[in-house]
Amino acid sequence: MTSLYAAVCIAILVIMAIALARAFYAPTVYDRILGVNMFGTKTVLFIAVVGYLTGRPDFLDIAIVYALINFIGMVAVLRFFEYTAPVD
Amino acid sequence: MLLLLDIISGILLVTGVFFGLSGAVGVFKLPNFFTRVHAASVTDSIAVILIIGGLLLQTTFGINIAKLLFILGFLLITSPTASHALAKSARHGGLLTMSELEKGDQQEKTPK
Amino acid sequence: MHTVKWVISLSIFWLLLSGYLKPLLLGFGVASVALVIVVLNRMQKVDNEPQEFGTWLQTIRYIPWLLGQILSSSLRVTKLVWGSPTEVSPSLAKINVEAVPEARRTLYANSITLTPGTLSIDLEGEEVTVHALEQSSIDELKEGYIATKITDIWGDNK
Repeated sequence: MTSLYAAVCIAILVIMAIALARAFYAPTVYDRILGVNMFGTKTVLFIAVVGYLTGRPDFLDIAIVYALINFIGMVAVLRFFEYTAPVD
Repeated sequence: MLLLLDIISGILLVTGVFFGLSGAVGVFKLPNFFTRVHAASVTDSIAVILIIGGLLLQTTFGINIAKLLFILGFLLITSPTASHALAKSARHGGLLTMSELEKGDQQEKTPK
Repeated sequence: MHTVKWVISLSIFWLLLSGYLKPLLLGFGVASVALVIVVLNRMQKVDNEPQEFGTWLQTIRYIPWLLGQILSSSLRVTKLVWGSPTEVSPSLAKINVEAVPEARRTLYANSITLTPGTLSIDLEGEEVTVHALEQSSIDELKEGYIATKITDIWGDNK
């Protein structure tokens, strides 16, 4: 199973890289936020899978904390942009 | 029996990663902002369900199952909230009105 | 009764996250549960909208069906992504939600967002604004396939 976990980790890293690329090269500011949001949820999954890869399920706690922080940060950023329309 | 569980969870993990990748590709390929939100929601819902499901089958210790289920439930509740907030603020920012829909994305600018 | 339910679920939540049974940490747990209960009761005076738990049985009936819907619509969106993405027909429509019980409208809108291909943008009064990747998913929503499921499950005890 270890090699499968490693493969899944690498694939999730690729997805995270694509999401980051979207956050850097995007036509509108909302696309950037979309990319960052995708990056966040994938990070949660990545941490969980790494925990299983190294055989230390304690990593799940870190994943929970990251999920909470990611959600709160996303809502805060969106509240900020909702009424101050960004001018690129 | 254990081998069967391994195979099933392997299949779940691989299909989850596949859906994640196709969502990520969709975020680049689809033509305008609101369609890209749909592609991102593929990675947020089905990929999360499949990957966490695959990990669940490999877990034996009780509290870890509870933690995984909590992560799954939390992500499934927050991801619609996040995409709703995103869509709403994009609409406030003037990215989409009923009439703009036919003309396509007027707001798109070339990245600097 | 209402408070008791909250106390039980918050205590379970604390135990799930901490996992320790030492007296000091359990004391912290009791203190934070008490603090949350006090804040909840104060908030109740502000909005008069008791946050009820749904009954578990109904939720258990609803979730597997929703997972099936998510799977089938994800397949559709994936096909569009790998096929020819320029062929999408994005569309926007207002859908009437009078049929859905009022307490379940948030669940309805969240289910729409959770299934890939449809995205609820706004919920005001009796209408929910939905953006969809394909015209056909708007038509399906207008026929009300999620709405009838929700009213089937939750409609009786309204």
